[in-house]
Amino acid sequence: MGVEPWMVIASAGVAGFGLARHLTGVLARPFRPERARPAGSPAAGVRYAFTTGMMPWAKESTRIHLLAYLRGIVFHAGIAAGLIGLGLALWDPGLPSAFRLLLSAALGAGALAGWAGFAARFAEPGLRALSTPDDYVSVALVSLFLTAGALAWWDARWMDAFLLLGAATLVAIPFTKIRHCFYYFFSRYFFGLFYGRRGVLGGAHHE
Amino acid sequence: MSESVAIALQAFEKVLDRRLTAALEVCARCGICAESCHYYVSTPDPAHVPAARAEQVRAFYRRRHDPIGRVLPWLAGAKDLTEERLDALQETAFASCTLCRRCTINCPFGVDTALIMRAARGMLTAAGKAPEMLVMLADAAIARGENADEFREIYREIVSGLEQEAQARIGDPSLRIPLDKKGADILYVGLSGAHTILPAAIIFHEAQASWTLSMFEASNYGLFLGDPSKAKAIATRLVDEAVALGVKDVVLTECGHAYAALRWEAPTWFGGEFPFRVRNIEEVIAEYIQGGRLTLDPSANPESITYHDSCNLGRNGGLLEAPRIVLRAAVQDFRELTPHGTDSLCCGGGGGLVAVPEWEEIRMRAGRRKAEQVREAGVPVVATSCENCNLQLTDLNAYYKLGVRVVGLMELVVNALVKAKERQGLPLAEAA
Repeated sequence: MGVEPWMVIASAGVAGFGLARHLTGVLARPFRPERARPAGSPAAGVRYAFTTGMMPWAKESTRIHLLAYLRGIVFHAGIAAGLIGLGLALWDPGLPSAFRLLLSAALGAGALAGWAGFAARFAEPGLRALSTPDDYVSVALVSLFLTAGALAWWDARWMDAFLLLGAATLVAIPFTKIRHCFYYFFSRYFFGLFYGRRGVLGGAHHE
Repeated sequence: MSESVAIALQAFEKVLDRRLTAALEVCARCGICAESCHYYVSTPDPAHVPAARAEQVRAFYRRRHDPIGRVLPWLAGAKDLTEERLDALQETAFASCTLCRRCTINCPFGVDTALIMRAARGMLTAAGKAPEMLVMLADAAIARGENADEFREIYREIVSGLEQEAQARIGDPSLRIPLDKKGADILYVGLSGAHTILPAAIIFHEAQASWTLSMFEASNYGLFLGDPSKAKAIATRLVDEAVALGVKDVVLTECGHAYAALRWEAPTWFGGEFPFRVRNIEEVIAEYIQGGRLTLDPSANPESITYHDSCNLGRNGGLLEAPRIVLRAAVQDFRELTPHGTDSLCCGGGGGLVAVPEWEEIRMRAGRRKAEQVREAGVPVVATSCENCNLQLTDLNAYYKLGVRVVGLMELVVNALVKAKERQGLPLAEAA
């Protein structure tokens, strides 16, 4: 039995509904902005948080863990490609083979980065001590999704597996650690607001 | 559920706002924050990874607020808060985190672990599990505010003695340390101890500033307790005093957490901006130097001197440039530590640790990397503009046998000021 497009669309609906619940949950909590006179620009801080502040050279931690950070970037770029691939698979616009190969390569690179991260969680004692079962399940699920995607855009016989794993990943977003993709925007926003307002980051002396 | 756990959870729910929710939800447990923490670098134990520390709070947060955490807690890493876990949280929140936010700066998500640890401190304080010493110091400060009149006369006598000392130091009998001076521009707030009042008095005198000394001390132990009501009560003493005297600026002495409390946190506790500015003494001195109101002779401080950034003043307070303006003017050979500024390593004395004697060994171990950094700098003098950092660096100096001298910036400024006047052969007041 093949995977019907409505299954993926329904899963996207679950993801959307679940994230909407998270959004209403966050917005229901009080927002307590700092009332002190600003020493710098909150807007500049937020800009910094989402731009130069995310560059690999911007932080000591990412300079130390450059490979792990780049692995994360490739993994997340792969996820973006996976979601695009999932949408295109539903629509099936008859893409040129070069584009299919490109998508397959992006998904493959993401999958490799995902599995490497998965292995690192097992192999590195510090990371293993820090991990919850959710960390393994989520990374494995997304890596499987990307692996299937890489295969599906290479060979259409894998398309059902890709759609099924895509649907599962979408459902998992609001319920597992995958939802950090949603909270990322809040966290970086508050980070930028805090340090921009206090004149620490985002100002001329810093950049 | 025990009563203390129930009280702790109630306190937690009260502070659970959008910012804290985001900090609790977003961590991907990538562990990249590990080396940013001075505890971890000094003792590479996975428990000292900031993310692991925050997991103690996240575990019960997920148990209460995550649907999977409620149904399948093992999968989400969710755990009920128990009396034992609350006790374990005490050392984590109060003794294993100085709230320095070096991990926040280094986290790809910007997770504010200090915010999480402060929420934990608030829970523990509400449940009666905060360190007694911190509670006692906070309560004593509040009591002093409530009974200020009882202390006023004795304080006046002490200040009169200090005035004579300051006059003798610069050979100028016209120097005054005013108290309760209405309409002064500046209300200067020191700490317990003459060392924060004497140099400031000399600097203000030389800059011909209109100032008055506060009846109270700058420190705010309510902040360390994560208890906004106590922190506000302590800050209220200064706010009321500043309003009653009609000052333009409240200038805080060399104290990082005092600046964090009154400059950045207190307006939020009070619900709006104050009718006066809150400044740190280094900002004011830098302004005097740049405005030509102080003449300094850096040859008074001829040794190579490095500067330790207080986390509360620098990374979390934005005062990165002012101390450097002061140092470049007051010393002959200023050298930066590596790293410094926003990346500065915490000395391990913040977050109230210096005040609790039983944590001395913990903070000595936590300060190991800072001690190594000072040793690597190869300078004989370390300057800082925070009292807690000063105490911690002095202790690290003895513990690790660094052979350095730890000084406050004001002390260096006064040395340079006196030398400049001596060179001119003039009594200080005349030269100014």
